Amino acid sequence: MKVVNLLAMVDTEKCRGCKTCERICPVLAIKVENRVAVVDAERCRGCANCEQRCPDLAITMVKRDEPLVVKVDVGAVDYDRIMDICRRAKLNPEQLICYCTGTRAEEAAAAILQGAKSPEEVSFLTGARTGCKVECIQPILRLLEAAGIKPQPPKGGWQWYGRTVTVWEIPEAVKKKYASRGFYFDEDIKILDRVAAAPLQGRSDA
Amino acid sequence: MRAPITPLPPRKSQYGIDPAMVKTRVCELPGMTSVLLKELFPDLPEVIFPGPGGVEAVRKAAEAALEKIDMSRIKPEHSVNILASHHGFTLLGGEPYAEMLKTIKDVIEKRTGCKNIRLRAGVGLRFRETEEYIKRYGLDEHFNGKAIGVAPVDQGIPIETEIGTLYGIKKVYDADWIVHAHNSDVREVHFHRQVDRAVKPFGMSYARIETRSTYHQNLGPRAANFTARAIFDSPFVQSKFAFASFLTVAPNGIIGVDADNDLYALNDRVTQTGCRYYGKMMTLFGEIDECIAALDFPCPVVYVFSAGVIYANFAGANTDLYDLDMPLPAYTWYTEAFYGKRGRPLLDDIPPLNPAIKMCVHNYAWTGYPSAFFSEHIPTVVVGREQAELFNRDPQNLTYMAHAVVAEDTRAAMDFAYKATGTGKVVIFDGAMGGINVSEPLAELLLQKAPAVSRRVDEELLPKWLRQRGVIQR
Repeated sequence: MKVVNLLAMVDTEKCRGCKTCERICPVLAIKVENRVAVVDAERCRGCANCEQRCPDLAITMVKRDEPLVVKVDVGAVDYDRIMDICRRAKLNPEQLICYCTGTRAEEAAAAILQGAKSPEEVSFLTGARTGCKVECIQPILRLLEAAGIKPQPPKGGWQWYGRTVTVWEIPEAVKKKYASRGFYFDEDIKILDRVAAAPLQGRSDA
Repeated sequence: MRAPITPLPPRKSQYGIDPAMVKTRVCELPGMTSVLLKELFPDLPEVIFPGPGGVEAVRKAAEAALEKIDMSRIKPEHSVNILASHHGFTLLGGEPYAEMLKTIKDVIEKRTGCKNIRLRAGVGLRFRETEEYIKRYGLDEHFNGKAIGVAPVDQGIPIETEIGTLYGIKKVYDADWIVHAHNSDVREVHFHRQVDRAVKPFGMSYARIETRSTYHQNLGPRAANFTARAIFDSPFVQSKFAFASFLTVAPNGIIGVDADNDLYALNDRVTQTGCRYYGKMMTLFGEIDECIAALDFPCPVVYVFSAGVIYANFAGANTDLYDLDMPLPAYTWYTEAFYGKRGRPLLDDIPPLNPAIKMCVHNYAWTGYPSAFFSEHIPTVVVGREQAELFNRDPQNLTYMAHAVVAEDTRAAMDFAYKATGTGKVVIFDGAMGGINVSEPLAELLLQKAPAVSRRVDEELLPKWLRQRGVIQR
């Protein structure tokens, strides 16, 4: 869940249409049309990625008159299916996947079950990956994959490039090679497996 | 008791309030004193900064360290990217790190005849932070306009590693050679656990979001830093790596500059100093039974410094962050992720945030890092409505203030904290150089506990920590 209280605003005098904003927006809310960036106010999740990377300082974040509440209703989806996707992704349904918005795996899974087929759609529906924009791409990709979806990165975009390795997939030869240097692969697998299997504390918003 | 040490001044930044709004520093209030770190641990090394030589001492140390570096592969017609990270600019005012960067550029140019030397300065989660530092320290001028900040959302480049494809920032690697210009300050021990500390930026400030998310979400708390080693060891990065130059740091200041063509040799030396010196400070912090933690430094909440230790580490000082047998510190992103919907850890053996911190007084600290976990679990008083509003506008901290209260000024915040907690012990995270600003009762406690902590680290903990990392004790 995210309360979106900011909106990107483009200074059309400064914008040179370089498309940096378009390439990095995690919800595809900004596009260059006729050499000027245009913001879709309904899609914008106020993450400030565009404002932070615009080379011409043409974007500012302004406070919305009416904040948007972005949330997927977990209770509207069969929870067994949510649990199934989370377990396949080796995540506990209650585990946080986005530290900034407090989005839990169950909400992202619910978004997928309600039709999200890409990280951009998951972010649009849940708000995840619209805080720091950095740390939560992998669990979203893992959840999509667990649901049998293989998304493609936005064409020409830099939003994301691909799912990467998890600790369960580290080759045994690598584990052995670095065993004496403080990398505790197998021990961490045990911890992550225990977390994934841990009992749920409650479905307070269900 | 000594007078408090003048803290580092507030710094103008888009991530913090206007410095003019910081009317009072916590150390200026009655009852505050300071303890020199050398009083606590006489075996701390001698420092070159702060000192009478100023940053010129850093230049001399860098020139001396770089003399032994083989630069013969860098030809006049080549290009070189000197890779920097935001963190270095937060150390002791930032000038020492900036001076080392300038010196590296000057020495490479003089030794090799290469003129196409650029600065690529990576960031954490504040994407324009190093742009601010580049201007502040005149690095754009020194690098002839070839100094830029790079961010993890910038265009990426795939890097094939022995654990599959990971991703770096394209502009980090767009030169014939790269020079890894970093520092040995331990900072995020809760994340890297002093495992391959010197290598970490290859998986972090030089890396794309996919790699950083791998570190923080895919590998686990003690395997995470392998992302950095995998990238650094890749044929692609090895084909470009020229050498590393590190500002070497102890809790009491800059101790020198260390440079090497072999990053792993440098890494082992960094592991030694990190465990030995910072390990003592963190173990001593773990002896504090109760306190008010006051944040008063130009950095995000987690990164404010006291005696070289950041608040995030103090929040985990109830556990031994260096002990790799302990899987989850009280604070890491893995730990935070493992709190369920009722606000309790999903596993019973996950330690709580340091229960000795009875209250946090947030006098001055920046946005730009997800910090709501701290205000949710540690009673927090934020000074000034402007600062509270800044957090409410930060996409990474939209719920920080939902768990904190606002005080009108520093004195009111501290009075409230004293009354609410009943403790007179205060530790101030204000970056005081060479010492630590604390209240008098806490000064007494630290001085009393330090000798036993020092012996315990030397005789028991340090040998274990180094053994766990495969490093031979010097």
